[in-house]
Amino acid sequence: MLKILVCVKQIPDVDLVKMDPETGNLVRDGVPSLMNPLDTNALEAALQIKERFGGTLTAITMGPPAAAEVLRESISVGADEGVLVSGRAFGGADTLSTSYSIAKAAEMSGPYDLIFAGKETLDGATGQMASQLAERFDCSQISCCTEIESIENGVVRAKRQLDSGVQTVEAKLPCLITVEKAGFIPRLPRLNSWLQSKNAPITVLDENSIAGLDTQLIGVPGSGTIVPKIYPPQLPEPGQILNEGSMNATVNKLVELLEERGVL
Amino acid sequence: MEGKITKTYNKVSPEILEQLRSVVGDRRIQFGEAVNPVYSHDEMPIYGKYFPEVVCEAESTEEVAAIMKICSENNIPVTPRGAGTGLVGGCVPLYGGVVLSTSRMNKILSYDMNNLVVHIQPGVLLCDLAADAIAHGLMYPPDPGEKTATVGGNVSTNAGGMRAVKYGVTRDYVLAMTVVLPSGEVIKLGKTVCKTSSGYSLLHLMIGSEGTLGIITELTLKLIPKPAYDISFIVPFKTVEECIAAVPEIKLANLDPQSIEFFDADIVEMSSRFTGEPIFPVNMDGTAVAASLLVTLVGDSQEALMPQIRQLGQVAAGAGAMDVLVVDTAERKKAVWAARSSFLTAIEAQTRFLDEMDVVVPVDKIAKFLIFVRSAGAETGITIRNFGHAGDGNLHIYACADDPDEAEFHRRAKIVMDKSYAKCTEFQGQVSGEHAIGHAKKEYLRESVGDTVFNLMVQIKKVFDPLMILNPGKVCTNLEEAE
Repeated sequence: MLKILVCVKQIPDVDLVKMDPETGNLVRDGVPSLMNPLDTNALEAALQIKERFGGTLTAITMGPPAAAEVLRESISVGADEGVLVSGRAFGGADTLSTSYSIAKAAEMSGPYDLIFAGKETLDGATGQMASQLAERFDCSQISCCTEIESIENGVVRAKRQLDSGVQTVEAKLPCLITVEKAGFIPRLPRLNSWLQSKNAPITVLDENSIAGLDTQLIGVPGSGTIVPKIYPPQLPEPGQILNEGSMNATVNKLVELLEERGVL
Repeated sequence: MEGKITKTYNKVSPEILEQLRSVVGDRRIQFGEAVNPVYSHDEMPIYGKYFPEVVCEAESTEEVAAIMKICSENNIPVTPRGAGTGLVGGCVPLYGGVVLSTSRMNKILSYDMNNLVVHIQPGVLLCDLAADAIAHGLMYPPDPGEKTATVGGNVSTNAGGMRAVKYGVTRDYVLAMTVVLPSGEVIKLGKTVCKTSSGYSLLHLMIGSEGTLGIITELTLKLIPKPAYDISFIVPFKTVEECIAAVPEIKLANLDPQSIEFFDADIVEMSSRFTGEPIFPVNMDGTAVAASLLVTLVGDSQEALMPQIRQLGQVAAGAGAMDVLVVDTAERKKAVWAARSSFLTAIEAQTRFLDEMDVVVPVDKIAKFLIFVRSAGAETGITIRNFGHAGDGNLHIYACADDPDEAEFHRRAKIVMDKSYAKCTEFQGQVSGEHAIGHAKKEYLRESVGDTVFNLMVQIKKVFDPLMILNPGKVCTNLEEAE
């Protein structure tokens, strides 16, 4: 029986988030939250492994109480349980302290044979979490995975999509895997599981309930980076699309504009 | 025969061209060889390509009126055109002359938030109106699959779409319009009121008249408050019959769904190949899915809809559904509706030739009709693809084949179409639910409604357009050009 962990994150719909140009703060009011899209592929990969090889699947996330929603979403498609790491002390964490917090929380229900994670989140886009977690768990890591061929005698064999081609690799368990989208299109929840997930119990762990947690290594004190300022990128001047009805008229207009600006 | 009219049109002379140019200027006129070939067809070029002599892109009611006056005085045929996304050749200039494009009349003019109406020009795209209404906290309920159609085109065909089962069709949302008659005279039809019992409704005659009676240049449309929450469900079945039989059950359960869409396994596989995103199930626990329903519920919140959601689960189980899949998150909705909207494009991309029908049959006849059409297709070597709005019996059926020769395809497709339209009439159905008649379905319309009704349509056409210059050869008029 494999023990499988999937790391998920709730993010704001980044297409709808705007930045306050004065303060540099992200305006999240009224912006719907969703599971980080690349995490949905990691979750699908974990579900496929659970179905093929048997085992239990735990979904874990860190965030405010509302982040439990992505754990319920995981349960609705087949995860067995959800763990939410939540508390004020975790606020302001960068990837260094987040990976520490998640790893310590996961130790409570671990050890895990396989850990799945999205290769990055659309809001932070650092792409650092997966590798940091692999280090924290002291396990091997397979990235860019498109297919998991086998798990035998404590060894996972998988295909990786590289720019130069497809690579087949083997890694010892425990192993952390990040996946490519194509091989792992997320499934839709079935109604009964979806309804049950609404009331599924979620394990909530705060800074006081994680065994052996060094509070100096979480939240802001545990972060190795600081963000002094956030500001929107300078937008280039928008281009101009010419359409004067016919090709001739459009070309004439283009010539006229180029002459006006002294290019011709 | 009634409806056959002998008619001779004048060609656009250099003098007439100059008059037209004086209306729209140099930049919004195309003529002769400079005419973009796109104006010779709509999205079904298989019904024939016909080039206009001139294309004028109008920007105002006054310009449309001026163009109509010139053409009326000079006996030049005029074919109005929106985005050209039609499927029956409705905007194709069968007799040359002028194509009058309204696509630059694309301004959303104003909202009246007290009366929940919007005033627009006819060239506004459906997708633009839908998004703008949402930004105002409102919704324009008609939701035809072709989002890049103009709203004027939607009104001209009385388009329906996916939400018709709950909200009705385009006709139900048009309160008033400005129309330029073939003579160039401008009239206003309808008012911003909810009721009327004030003489013949020329407004409703204009809706669905496919630009044969007048050219719509402004529209006042009814909006509704945007539903706060929506959630969709895919309900897969082992057989088409069970799938269709579930539709009245869902309607009877008083769930008031916003849409009940139907699609079979073939179309799902084509769409998956095309989009590369296999979102609809083709297999449930090792058993093949034959057909699925896509059901959307709307309400104030997910919590508020929970009783209906549970009931849908029970109804589906009772109707023999293999399961019910939940489309609740923004990402899932995006993927599902993108796949649903890709059906026609997916068929077009994977077929050399296709013909289509857009019939409406009573809901309890859908399964029988589909089986009949499939068998007619099989007998003739034509592959039938279909999907549609199961909630209202409107089916989009495509006759597809990879014939080496277009004429041979036409011959065989016509056999299937003739049989299928006859069966539709036998089932008390209508020739078109939302794609309209154009010039491609005229004979089927005559057979369906009968000579008396067809001839009344011809008489109405003559009242509005005695010179027969506006969109000639469409809906009910058959012209014979005199030598």
